[in-house]
Amino acid sequence: MAGSLAAEDLDRLIHERIRLGIVSALAANDSLSFADLKDVLRTTDGNLSVHARKLEEAGYIRVLKGFEDRKPRTEYRLTAKGRRALETYLAHMEQILSAAREALERS
Amino acid sequence: MSIPTHEEREEVKATLAFIRQTMESASSFTAISGWGLLGVGVLGLVASGVAARLEDPTTLRVWIPTAALAVVVAGVANAYKARRLDVPLWSGSFRKLVWVMAPVVVAGAVLTYALAGAGARALLPGLWLALYGAGVTAGGTLSVRAIRGMGLVLLAFGAAALLAPQWGSMLLAAGFGAIHLIFGILVLTRHGG
Repeated sequence: MAGSLAAEDLDRLIHERIRLGIVSALAANDSLSFADLKDVLRTTDGNLSVHARKLEEAGYIRVLKGFEDRKPRTEYRLTAKGRRALETYLAHMEQILSAAREALERS
Repeated sequence: MSIPTHEEREEVKATLAFIRQTMESASSFTAISGWGLLGVGVLGLVASGVAARLEDPTTLRVWIPTAALAVVVAGVANAYKARRLDVPLWSGSFRKLVWVMAPVVVAGAVLTYALAGAGARALLPGLWLALYGAGVTAGGTLSVRAIRGMGLVLLAFGAAALLAPQWGSMLLAAGFGAIHLIFGILVLTRHGG
């Protein structure tokens, strides 16, 4: 996935697989813990941390740190900006498919 | 927009499929196994038959080992399906499912003890079916829709068995046996095994 898709307007920040997975998983839940996201995305701690930080810096997700049973717990939530970014990204994907469909109909 | 190439179209389709799969995997427990439900159904029918032969349809000597075995059968089948589908078994939704079912099991154990002690064993089939149905219905909100349907049917069977205890043992066999078989086939055919 990602890389070859020729689309100038594509949000490169969430086009990357892990970051797209984080945003998609959070769009389906109010919040998810670091462990939940790691389970869903089948990735390593380091990889998830790096990509989550990029999304946090962009304001797409919010990170809540706390404790549960005296153990540190990190919780992630999608922000309104992040949800809008995913919606725009999905709309863009739809546009590409529509353009392909129209081209097929014309040919 | 320029005309997308075949590769771009395929890439978009793969991306959309990835988004859909991630959302499903994050929000529901999809690894519920039809084979597991069939196994539990067979166990339910066998236990009902054995209990009937012992002339004690609610004997705990039969139902406690059956419940333990059913948990093992369902657990193994779900784990196998999760591995086959490449989805996490111990996911957030599965943990929630455990938290939904655990209080129901504890409440069932306490009420079984209390009702049996009060000489109201005839109400046990209705109690078990109603509580199990309530747990499955609530847990079904975290899984595929068929599970919610199964929970509602079990809940209805439980209510019927509480209102007409003379039908209790028959409803117990139907609920723990036949209903699991029917919904097992449904999950097998519609939800990938």
